[in-house]
Amino acid sequence: MATGIGLRQPHYREVFDRRPGIGFVEVHSENFFLDGGASMRALERARELYPVSLHGVGLSLGSADRLVGRHLDKLERLVDRIQPEFVSEHLSWGRLGAEHFNDLLPMPLTHAALALVADRVDHVQNRLGRRILIENISAYVAYRDGDMTEPAFLAALARRTGCTVLLDINNLYVNAVNFGFDPVAWIEELPPSVVGEMHLAGHAVTDDGLVDTHGSRVSAEVWTLYAEACKRLGPKPTLIEWDTDLPSLDVLLEEAAAARAIAEDATEASSV
Amino acid sequence: MSDLLAIQEGLANCLRDAHSIAAMRFLAGDQVLVERRLAIYRANVSANAVKALAAAYPVVQQVVGEAFFAGLARAYRHDAPSSSGDLSEYGDGFARFLAGFAHVRSLPYLSDLARLEWQVHRAYGAADTRPWDPASIGMVAPEQQHTIRFRFAAGTSVVESPFPLVRIWTIHQPGVQDGFAVDWSVSERALVAREELRVTVTAASAGDAAFIVATLEGATLGDAAAAALESDAAFDLSAFLSRAIASNLICGFSLDEDH
Repeated sequence: MATGIGLRQPHYREVFDRRPGIGFVEVHSENFFLDGGASMRALERARELYPVSLHGVGLSLGSADRLVGRHLDKLERLVDRIQPEFVSEHLSWGRLGAEHFNDLLPMPLTHAALALVADRVDHVQNRLGRRILIENISAYVAYRDGDMTEPAFLAALARRTGCTVLLDINNLYVNAVNFGFDPVAWIEELPPSVVGEMHLAGHAVTDDGLVDTHGSRVSAEVWTLYAEACKRLGPKPTLIEWDTDLPSLDVLLEEAAAARAIAEDATEASSV
Repeated sequence: MSDLLAIQEGLANCLRDAHSIAAMRFLAGDQVLVERRLAIYRANVSANAVKALAAAYPVVQQVVGEAFFAGLARAYRHDAPSSSGDLSEYGDGFARFLAGFAHVRSLPYLSDLARLEWQVHRAYGAADTRPWDPASIGMVAPEQQHTIRFRFAAGTSVVESPFPLVRIWTIHQPGVQDGFAVDWSVSERALVAREELRVTVTAASAGDAAFIVATLEGATLGDAAAAALESDAAFDLSAFLSRAIASNLICGFSLDEDH
């Protein structure tokens, strides 16, 4: 099973020199909405060495008003140039009208929201000529009204559009603590076949709840939940995400190795 | 979809304004906790804007310090919120904002420095140049040569300032060890260019700067040379062209079909 790491600028040189044995690397698509230059050259080098996953954070699939065509144009150009293994985005919105908050804000889990997001995912997949993955986000507020659970929403989205789910185990854990639900039951609601990738990351514990920071090692609770997910969903390509207070490359590789070991144990245990 | 729009408008108001209660009727849970959780989002939005602005303006950040820069970034976001999901586009109006911001009046060069950094930021991701054969200029008939329009490498620009902008920018680059003395009586024209993948910032003479600016605006060789000579009687066209071709500043040309 492939485990990968988020590839960030301070690690470019070391990754290219050492070429560690990882299954894939993931970058934020928007960091490469460029015509050329050093960053683009580095991504092209990474693509020569590893499968690349393009993970978008700015498309704002769930905006009530419209999808921004120019953003999709740039993504299409990048996908054509890099020929990535995966292209992913989030079940979220971040822009309304002329203002972009550049954050991942939650969607209400309603039939109307599902119809809107399914149309947008269809549109994006048609433009890119490929299936994309949609990630469950971490959230700090929840809506009063909804027609379904989040896994039911994601499963229906996958059924309607053919997209797959990028299951972020840390986000799921953060939400389970912040809103008080059982994350294992959440996973059990998701058909294993719709999950195409998993994410692991660190979070911060605050007085107001857990905050998704991508700035520390994966917590013990998230590792445990990851093992549960592997048991129920089978092994899936898994990525270690780390964006703030970036550690040494070796720490990322240790986390990736730990993910691989857990996935292998879980798979063996479930096949016995 | 009006429900979704109302929800998102409500939440957007709460993100802009800590006192807004526009989203409360849509959100579940204890109101005090919800308000504290909304503050997490406001902090994220603000931190992302500060981070994006700092990435484009590292020298301005060094000059004013991290804490003051964060304050500037928050004031700027209030004035000119992000409009793109691509944060590398964020901050194009920062120089104009600084020019009118009372609290940085004691740093009169700051706005020009920001103009320079924005051009450096744009040049970093500009298209790579394709190889070309400079000898092809020699194939142009002598009577046609004044109609040549040179093409500069993507990312090329000139930032003019009454301040020693190139010097200020240079001493704030990582690893620079040559002291921090600045002769404030000097005014500089900063030429921003790409050498392969590296962005360079160098001081250009008045003539060189005028030639480059005219060419970037679409002037022919003849008109650009006239503009350069007008601003600098000592402008040496052939010396400039040799340097510009050797450094890949010039990366091609076209001929004016109308002549």
